[in-house]
Amino acid sequence: MSRDSSELVASTYMRNTTIAAVVIALGWHVGEDLPAMIIAWAGYRWPAAVAAAWLAYAGIAGVAALVLLRGDRPIRYAWALATAALVLGVVVAAAAHGQLMTLASWAWGAVGWLGVMLFWRRSMAHLVCFLGVNAVLGLGVLVVAGTLDRISIARYLMVVTGSGALQLAFAGGARALRAAADWTAAASAAHAETLTAQRTAEEVHRMRQRRFQALQHTTAHILAALADGRALPSDPSVQRSCAMEAARLRRLFAETDDLPDPLVHELEACADVAERRGVAVDLAVIGSLPGVPVNVRRALAEPPIELLSAAKTSARITVAGLGDQVVIGVVADADLARVDSGHGPDVAVSWFREGERLWVETRWPDRSPSPSSKTIQS
Amino acid sequence: MARPVTVAIIEDHPVVIEGIRSWIAGQKDLAVRVVATGDTIEAVLDGPGGTADVLVLDLNLNGRLVVDRVGELCAAGHRVVVFSQHAEPEIVLAVLEAGASDFVAKDEGPAHCVAAIVSAATDLPYVTPSVAGAMTVDADPDRPRLSGKERLALLWWFQGMSKASVAQRMGIAESTVRQYIGRARAKYATVGRKAVTKTALLARAIEDGLIRPDEVGDYRSFGFDPRTRSNE
Repeated sequence: MSRDSSELVASTYMRNTTIAAVVIALGWHVGEDLPAMIIAWAGYRWPAAVAAAWLAYAGIAGVAALVLLRGDRPIRYAWALATAALVLGVVVAAAAHGQLMTLASWAWGAVGWLGVMLFWRRSMAHLVCFLGVNAVLGLGVLVVAGTLDRISIARYLMVVTGSGALQLAFAGGARALRAAADWTAAASAAHAETLTAQRTAEEVHRMRQRRFQALQHTTAHILAALADGRALPSDPSVQRSCAMEAARLRRLFAETDDLPDPLVHELEACADVAERRGVAVDLAVIGSLPGVPVNVRRALAEPPIELLSAAKTSARITVAGLGDQVVIGVVADADLARVDSGHGPDVAVSWFREGERLWVETRWPDRSPSPSSKTIQS
Repeated sequence: MARPVTVAIIEDHPVVIEGIRSWIAGQKDLAVRVVATGDTIEAVLDGPGGTADVLVLDLNLNGRLVVDRVGELCAAGHRVVVFSQHAEPEIVLAVLEAGASDFVAKDEGPAHCVAAIVSAATDLPYVTPSVAGAMTVDADPDRPRLSGKERLALLWWFQGMSKASVAQRMGIAESTVRQYIGRARAKYATVGRKAVTKTALLARAIEDGLIRPDEVGDYRSFGFDPRTRSNE
């Protein structure tokens, strides 16, 4: 699995638990708090205050739901909203005078769900602290009202532990699920990365072996000849061979670079070697080039390398993409009698001499333009 | 001897103007006189440049591309030879379509700039290698259809050999190579927006037998006017 898809799974998990948190808080408020308020309506000291509290609760829940469902960040000002929620509990309790810890004072149990939403994407400590303050406030209200009888205390404990346990369990469970999704995502991303690295390493190794084989025939040969004195550095033909091997090496290095137009990139490397020898090289690329396999690129570039290595003062390289065909042309002032290289699958090589200048063209796939190619003029 | 071709150079780099002057001075057989230079189109047209036979226009003036001004200059009857480093085929074809006589890439300057100016003055298609290359790879179905030989001549001319070499290689006379290249260029003058300069180039091409009037199609009926022909 790729990193993207594993991240997608993780984010889907998180989104679904977020939706669950929102649905529970709102569902609780409409399905539990609203009927409780309606049933207890006649017994409230200030029914309007309870209704306002119910609406305020809905408002806070609505804002929290919007923020949570729209983005993936925790809610800012969570504690300000949480404080407002706690105040709601006290307001409802005050309005429900004489009916503390019954259905009428619905807010004690319900604000916890607001807390779950408000502290979503934050550490559990916030929620625990919030629920703790809520419990202390509830106890405080009991003390102030002087209803510390056994039944009230029992109801209080039932409300606080019952709802609190549900809320903590849900919040904790959602966080555990999120962590598990994160681990899964990280594990599958790491696996994919390892797999990619392994394949890359294999490919690099394969390419390296191929380049090594390519060089054994030519570069190693000239180096050996130089080493044992069979080839003299002062000999112009040896110098030309060296220039050619330098260009070949540069092209092979460029072969592994991951660029959009590898053929042009490789020819640029060859042009660069010629420029270092003081040859003025002009490279013009026109048309869009088709994808050229690496062995064909090698065959297409060999004759240009041969000619560029022999160029004395100036060379012009042209690369033309003609539909599915590539045509490389090199014109240079060179003493080369002919071009020998460039035998490749479906690659046509032709050359032409005009006075000082030699003109070489390679084409792939081979659809030679005229029967008069491959002629030598002098 | 005919009076020299007058040329005005619109170019924001003085060193390039000096370069063009030296190429002109180096081509004794081609009589060309620079009558105005400047770094904006307006500055050059206001003076003696306004009546020069040919305008040499750099496409990048003070950091701004002026490709869109070529059409307006050609519509006003100026013969424009564009001289630019932006030799991408799309730009080359765009300035040709706008009516420019020729496009000279900066690295083609020494070899082709003066010849292109002189040809433009007489409405002859010169076709630099960069223009040949742009026509060769043009795959736009709205553009003219070139024959296989025209394409081959253009490709080989683009590759950088002389027309004589291209001719030998194709097994034909050099004049035939010139004809293929000139014909291809004339076909390009038949497409796109009408321009006085294109009409003049076509009229000359017809007169020289590069292209037959019936090949020009309906283009000729629009604005063909022998009076726009230049002095020769």
